[in-house]
Amino acid sequence: MLEFKGLTKQFNSTIAVKPATFTIPDGQMVGIIGRSGAGKSTLLRMINRLNEPSGGQMLFQGRDITALKGRALREWRNECAMVFQQFNLVGRLNVLTNVMSGRLFHHDFASSMLGIFTARERAFAIRALDRLGMAHVALQQTDTLSGGQMQRVAIARALVQEPRVMLADEPIASLDPLNAKVVMDALRAINRQDGLTVICNLHTLDTARQYCDRIIGMQDGVIVFDGTPTELTDRAAREIYGAEAEEAFSEAMTSTALRPGASAPAQPEARVVN
Amino acid sequence: MSTLTYAAISDVDIAATRKRHPKAFGDPFATTLKAASWAFIAVYLVWSLGFFEIGKLLSASDRAWALITRMVVWQDMATWQYYNIYKGIAQTIAMAFVGTLLGTIFALGLAFFAARNTMPVGVIRHAVRRMLDVFRGIDQVVWGLVFVRAVGLGPLAGVLAIWISDMGNLAKLYSEAIENIDRKQVEGVRATGADTSRIIRFGYLPQILPVFISLSLYSFESSTRSATILGLVGAGGIGMIIIERFRAGLFDQVAFVVLNVLVVIAVIDWGSGLIRKRFIGERGH
Amino acid sequence: MASITTNGPDHDPVSLFETHRTRMIRDRMLANITLAVLFLGFLAWSIWISRFTPDRLAAGIPRIFEYFGSVMPSLQWDMLFEGRSAEGRFPAGSVGYWYNDFWKYLRLIWETILMALTATLLGTGLAIALSFLAARNCTPYPWMGAAARRFLEFCRGVPEILFALILVFAVGIGPLAGVLAITIHATGALGKLFSEVNENASMRPVDGIKAVGGSWFEQMRYGILPQVLPNFTSYALWRFEINVRASAVVGFVGAGGIGAELSHTISFYSDDRVTAVLLLVVLTVTAIDLLSERARHTLIGKESLK
Repeated sequence: MLEFKGLTKQFNSTIAVKPATFTIPDGQMVGIIGRSGAGKSTLLRMINRLNEPSGGQMLFQGRDITALKGRALREWRNECAMVFQQFNLVGRLNVLTNVMSGRLFHHDFASSMLGIFTARERAFAIRALDRLGMAHVALQQTDTLSGGQMQRVAIARALVQEPRVMLADEPIASLDPLNAKVVMDALRAINRQDGLTVICNLHTLDTARQYCDRIIGMQDGVIVFDGTPTELTDRAAREIYGAEAEEAFSEAMTSTALRPGASAPAQPEARVVN
Repeated sequence: MSTLTYAAISDVDIAATRKRHPKAFGDPFATTLKAASWAFIAVYLVWSLGFFEIGKLLSASDRAWALITRMVVWQDMATWQYYNIYKGIAQTIAMAFVGTLLGTIFALGLAFFAARNTMPVGVIRHAVRRMLDVFRGIDQVVWGLVFVRAVGLGPLAGVLAIWISDMGNLAKLYSEAIENIDRKQVEGVRATGADTSRIIRFGYLPQILPVFISLSLYSFESSTRSATILGLVGAGGIGMIIIERFRAGLFDQVAFVVLNVLVVIAVIDWGSGLIRKRFIGERGH
Repeated sequence: MASITTNGPDHDPVSLFETHRTRMIRDRMLANITLAVLFLGFLAWSIWISRFTPDRLAAGIPRIFEYFGSVMPSLQWDMLFEGRSAEGRFPAGSVGYWYNDFWKYLRLIWETILMALTATLLGTGLAIALSFLAARNCTPYPWMGAAARRFLEFCRGVPEILFALILVFAVGIGPLAGVLAITIHATGALGKLFSEVNENASMRPVDGIKAVGGSWFEQMRYGILPQVLPNFTSYALWRFEINVRASAVVGFVGAGGIGAELSHTISFYSDDRVTAVLLLVVLTVTAIDLLSERARHTLIGKESLK
């Protein structure tokens, strides 16, 4: 259970996230929606402390996350994986090494500096890649992949962390509809099969409606909606998006291709048999 | 494939994965090669430090410590003869300026003999280039010593040393700039029916002049740096004061002089940056 | 608003343009004259301070030619490849006579190259470590970054030969002082270049490694290093060329390598031994330059193919 108690973020004079208090039970898939600049990204990045909160508290299974330092903080980041809009992979390393870097927390100084990974880690990374249909590119240099492929590699890296929580910061904002579906299906499968809590920032309304158990709407740093997709009426949505409502809705109209996959694991578009 | 935990991976799983993706488990040849090259570098470093008697560093710690202490603790500052120090620094700058200017003037002439598009005769071009190689290949300090032998101690030898090494450097860089010239602009001027002198004035000069000025300014900066040490071999400037006072064991004064030189060089770099910006804008390199 | 065709002397566009143009030309001429006066003044001051007067130059130039005449080898065609005579000496006019001390020179050149190589390796290692502290986007604490930058500035501000002078006093005559001096200077020069490369690297991979729970060292090793390594290698090779030149000179103050021999020969003899050593140094430096340039080009070529 992830509890937020008045979590705040202030940049100089502007308040990005006003005191937020809510609770996310284990295994829930949560979508955070709102227009750009509403504080979604800041809220998400505070959870793994890539952004430091300015005030308030955050508890995971009763442990105070906001007070962690040094190794304990890195342990929490290892438990709480993150997927980024721009993938944030190391382009010049191969795919396999990028995935294995998800286990760096468990390495000692020498082995991580020398880049030594065990056979078990290699096997585990290959399995994770295979689960996302990406094992065939394991030895390719990462920056030769397409955006959709990179995001799946990033999810594989997150998986080998064996996290308890998965954060996804606009995971599909840089992808075409087909790849967006593959990535969202993968996140949903992880949520269902592994029982991971998934917290996902989304800018399109219907993706959130179709994939998430719960939707949190943010406006100017304030949580203005918190409920199930069915509770999110068009009027409530219009309020969240304000001036950007037309855009969010029209996107909802055009991205009807995005329906949760019938079979739960992600189906890769072209899979090389090996 | 469904959920699998890291702890649950058995040797059988590893073997099965290895069978399907043998290359993912490391290419033994590449791994060995990589390890061997690192080992070679490590062995070389250890061997070479032994060869250079690194042990002397440890046994010298007392002496080194005393030296550092005397450099940091400044004594009898009233007797430091500041006039000579600043005269030496001024002389260094003057040497660099005269030397670079002479080097620039001569390089301007030589560059056209070393560039492919202005000197079609291969023999002459190569002869000039090899001569420039010799000017550049011998360090400025060595030139300094040679000229001290030829014309005696003092700044004249220093100016000559800067002149000859700057001439070598600049002529090479200038000739590259001439070779990289944009032919289209020259053709454009020629198409107006201009004579040779006008083709040079309006076709070549606007393209190469900013580059030349920029290169000469850089050369002046680097010459002020290098001119500070020409005095170590007796070729004038602040280096003569540094080595005199160092030999006399006045380490605090040496430290003071070096600090002053660092400040002066920083000021010159800043000033020449301003001039460069004023004349050729940000694009000049 | 008056139209363009308004008549009258003040508003005539041609005369307006002419007055404007005259003013601009006058301003530019004034600026140019000021600059020329400044330049000539500085030149006069420089000539006076460096005592670079025509009479001194006139007196010096014949001596230069005289000196260079005396250090040229006197080679004779028919004797050029003559071997040792019965007494074990090379006859005058042969290459063997000119390069009587060839093996001694070669040993010293070898030492010079080793000094440069060791100093380049050590300097590169130290520079890599310091560049991560010094780069503004990488440094773990801003004060540490500022301190590292000042330290690097000091290391590259002081010339090698000055460090060598001081180190010879501290650790004694020999190549160790030279290696250390060149290492310090190379650390400063490379550290600055490396930290600039680091500052241009993308921070996204660093965020990625941070998010998996990587330490600062792991963020640098996996997030930054793969991006910057090709540049680092290229810069280190280029520095090796410079270090070879430097290590040929630090011997002037007793810090090992061919420099001591060079300084000794030039200071005490004015015969063909001077050109013998000088030529060998020039050939070595040029050969190393060519090799390293080729290595850099293959490296860059490989990169651009990827």
